[in-house]
Amino acid sequence: MRIVCVVKFVPDVDNFTYNYETHTIEREHSPMLINPDDARALGFALTMKKREPQTCIEVVTMAPRSVIPQLEDILRLGFDSATLISDQLFAGSDTYVTSKLLSSVIRKIPYDCILSGTHAIDGDTSHVPSQIAQSLDLDHLNFIHHIEEERFTCSSAVVEVEGESSYTTFEIALPALLSLTRESAYRLPYVRYKNLNLDVSERLHILTNEQLGFDPAEVGLSGSRTQVVSTHTKEHMTRRKKVVKSDDEGIEVIYTFLKSNGFI
Amino acid sequence: MKKVLVYVEDGYAQESLSLLEAVRQLYPDQHVETYALLINSDASAIDGVCDVLLTLEDGTLQPFDQKGLCDVFTSVHTRYSFDAILFLATPMGRCIAPSVSMRLETGLVADVTAIANDDGQISLIRPAYSGKIMAGIRIKGEGPVMMSIRIGVFTYQGTDTVQSTNIGLEGLDYRHGNIKVMGTKEKKIPYDIRESDVLISGGAGCSDMESLQDLADLLGGHVSASRAVVDKGIVPRAIQVGQSGKTVSPSLYIALGIHGALQHVEGLKDIPHIISVNTNKDAPICSISDIVVEGDALPFVAKLIRRIKEGQQR
Repeated sequence: MRIVCVVKFVPDVDNFTYNYETHTIEREHSPMLINPDDARALGFALTMKKREPQTCIEVVTMAPRSVIPQLEDILRLGFDSATLISDQLFAGSDTYVTSKLLSSVIRKIPYDCILSGTHAIDGDTSHVPSQIAQSLDLDHLNFIHHIEEERFTCSSAVVEVEGESSYTTFEIALPALLSLTRESAYRLPYVRYKNLNLDVSERLHILTNEQLGFDPAEVGLSGSRTQVVSTHTKEHMTRRKKVVKSDDEGIEVIYTFLKSNGFI
Repeated sequence: MKKVLVYVEDGYAQESLSLLEAVRQLYPDQHVETYALLINSDASAIDGVCDVLLTLEDGTLQPFDQKGLCDVFTSVHTRYSFDAILFLATPMGRCIAPSVSMRLETGLVADVTAIANDDGQISLIRPAYSGKIMAGIRIKGEGPVMMSIRIGVFTYQGTDTVQSTNIGLEGLDYRHGNIKVMGTKEKKIPYDIRESDVLISGGAGCSDMESLQDLADLLGGHVSASRAVVDKGIVPRAIQVGQSGKTVSPSLYIALGIHGALQHVEGLKDIPHIISVNTNKDAPICSISDIVVEGDALPFVAKLIRRIKEGQQR
C-alpha cells in the first residue's frame, strides 16, 4: 500500500515571531514543530507500516529549509521518503496557493491514500486538506479520530468521525484523503538511539519553483486569494476588577457577589 | 443589489440565523437578496427570514460527502452567481467551504468574528495564531466572498419578516462521492456549554477537573475548560471554551487557573459576571473579571463550596 502523509510544521504558538509589517509569521526565526494533528496522521501511517512492512509512506510538506533536521528525524522513524517544497517565492501563500502547490506535487506521486491532520494550531482554518482533496478530485473526511486498522486496505477504509454531538462511522472508498484529529490515539515514537545519526539524505527531496515551474504571480502573497490587511493584538474591555485573597474575607466577598446576583 | 447564499445545514437551522446578521454587517447600506440552501434540511426556522429558500431533497446525498456537496454548491452558484457565500463553522461546514472556494478559485476566511465594510472595502476579522493576533483579511479578485462563522459568534437581530420564495432545485449537475454512513452514536457529554447559564471553567492551573463538578452543581451550572486542559486529554473538546472550542454566553463564568489567552477571552467579553481565580492577579483573564481571587484554584473551590453549604443550612 502506498500512503502519502501531508504535514505542516507550525510555529510553537506560545513562542513565535510575527512580522507586523508584512503580516506574516517569520518561520525562519520561529521554533517549528510538527502540527499535533498531522503527527497523528504520521503515527497512524507508521502503525500500518508495522503491520504491513511493504507499505510505502512518503511525507510531503511545504516549509522553510529550517525544518530539514525535523524531516530527517521523521525519516529516521522509518518513513520511506520525504519531499520538502521550499522556495522564498512561496512565502506568504494563503491556503488556496498552499493547496495548489501541495496538490501539484502529490499528483505526481502514486498513492492509495493520503493522510493529514484536520486542524493546524497556527492558522486553525482546516482549509488545506479539503482544498487538496478538491484539487485532486478525491473524497475526503476530516475530524477522524479512529481508523479501523483491520479494514484499512488499498480499496477502502472504515473511519469514525467526531461531529458536534455524535460520532459517525463511514466507509470510504480509496484513494481518498483522510484527516485525523489529535484526539486519535496514534503517536509518533522517538527516534531509536542507534538511528540518531542515520544518514537519510538520499530519501529527502527538496523541490523549489525551479522544478515546479509556477508563474511567480500565481504563488506566494501575489497569487493568494486572501490578503491580510491589518493585524492587531486585541484590546479588551476592562472591568473595574476587585482583587481579593482566597481567605475567609475573600470567600465572603465572592459569596455575597453570587448571592446578590441571584446565583445562590 | 447583492445576492448572498447562506448554507442552512440539517440540524442547524436556528444557529444559521446568525449568518444573516453577518450578511447585514457585510453589506450594511445595500439591498441584499438572501438565499438559503437547504439540502435534506428543515426550512421552518429560516422561512420568513430569507428571501429565497433553495431546497434539494436527495436521500442518497450523504452528509459529509464533500465531493457531492461541492458539486451542488458550484452548480447553484453557477445558476445564481452570488456575491457572498456563508457557512457555519460546523464540522461539515468546515469540510465543504474550503472545497467550494477551491473550485470557485476564490478566497475563504475561516472563523470570522467581525466584519468591516469601509466604502465597499470588506475586511473580515478573525483570530490567528491560537488567538494571539486578530487579523483583518480582504478577499482579492472577483469573489464570491466566502467565510465561515462559528456558532454563537454573531447574534441575529432582525425582526422583519419577508415572504420567502420556495424553489426546489431541479436538474442540478452533481456526483455522489464514494462514502457511506455505517452508523452513528451520540456523544457522552450530557450538556452543551453554549446553553449553560453558569460555567465553572478550569485551566492549566486547576489540577483536578473533577472537583469542579460539586461547585457547578451547587450553582446550577456546568463544567467547562480551557484549551490547555483539553490538549492534555484530561477533558473532551466538547466542553472547551474559546476559538478552537465553543463560544459561550452564560450569566456567570468562574475561571479557575485560566491564564486567558486571547483565543479564550475573545468570546467572554459580553458575559455579565466573571470571577477569576489565579495565582497571578495580572493574568489577562483578570482584566475582564469583576472579581479576581488571588490564589490557587482548588483550595478556593473547596472553601467556596463549604461557604455555600453553610449558607444553605442557616
